[in-house]
Amino acid sequence: MILLVRPKEVKVAGIPIGGIVDVVEFTVEAGKIREFARATFTEDPRHLTRELATATHSVVTGHYRDQRDFVARLGLAIERIVVGSVSWQYSRPLLAGDRLVATRRVEADLVRESKRGPMRLVTLATEFVDQGGETALVQREVLIERPSA
Amino acid sequence: MTLRPPPSRRVGPVTRTDIVRFAGAGGDFNPLHHDPEAARRAGFDDVIAMGQFQAGVLAGFLTDWVGVENLRSLEVRFVAPVRLGDTIEVSAKVGSAESGVTQISLTASAGPTIVVTAEASVADPSS
Repeated sequence: MILLVRPKEVKVAGIPIGGIVDVVEFTVEAGKIREFARATFTEDPRHLTRELATATHSVVTGHYRDQRDFVARLGLAIERIVVGSVSWQYSRPLLAGDRLVATRRVEADLVRESKRGPMRLVTLATEFVDQGGETALVQREVLIERPSA
Repeated sequence: MTLRPPPSRRVGPVTRTDIVRFAGAGGDFNPLHHDPEAARRAGFDDVIAMGQFQAGVLAGFLTDWVGVENLRSLEVRFVAPVRLGDTIEVSAKVGSAESGVTQISLTASAGPTIVVTAEASVADPSS
């Protein structure tokens, strides 16, 4: 689907490489762990009794973000965006009571030619730092802006 | 340690309630996932699940098996949308192991269609 023409850095509206998209501060809550485990059909009883968060619990930061706002600040057209991939690198699992600061930055911003026209690929990296100043995990997502019709 | 994958996990048929429950859990209120009119404007017959729903289902299958504390990395690629009525089937294959870390490939399918592929690295619990 994607023609691998040499990617190039784009000079379009947006946030520069390394620039901060948003910062979210939140506490990992036992009730939210259970709710998220149930919503993802995750069965390990420790999510219910020992307050160990599920692997993709970091997604709950969606509650603290304004999707339309950050998409607009990135200079992307929300109706043409799909999420191509998401990855997580873990130093440790999250636990109920963790106080986290999640800082999301632009890590890459490229344009690739496809059969239907240029596609923009924006990689965002979010570092989740705990109350002790240690990085618990890093989440990355690649947003793809499809060519305009 | 040699990991042996468990039997595949089937989740579904995916209902509107499943999608709304995940929206509430994760905070994804894009209308594409709860408003049929918005979904039609985007070219779908009805709402579709958010990619993080099927990613979460896949990750849950993985960590119920290996233990979430042993997961070192997970990369998920979204290949096709999950629609209402789809049954998601998640399965795993164990790859190479080196220095106490095992690579695992995962796939989530809806019928004959692959919807998500994933690669994980998992530490040996004793390491």
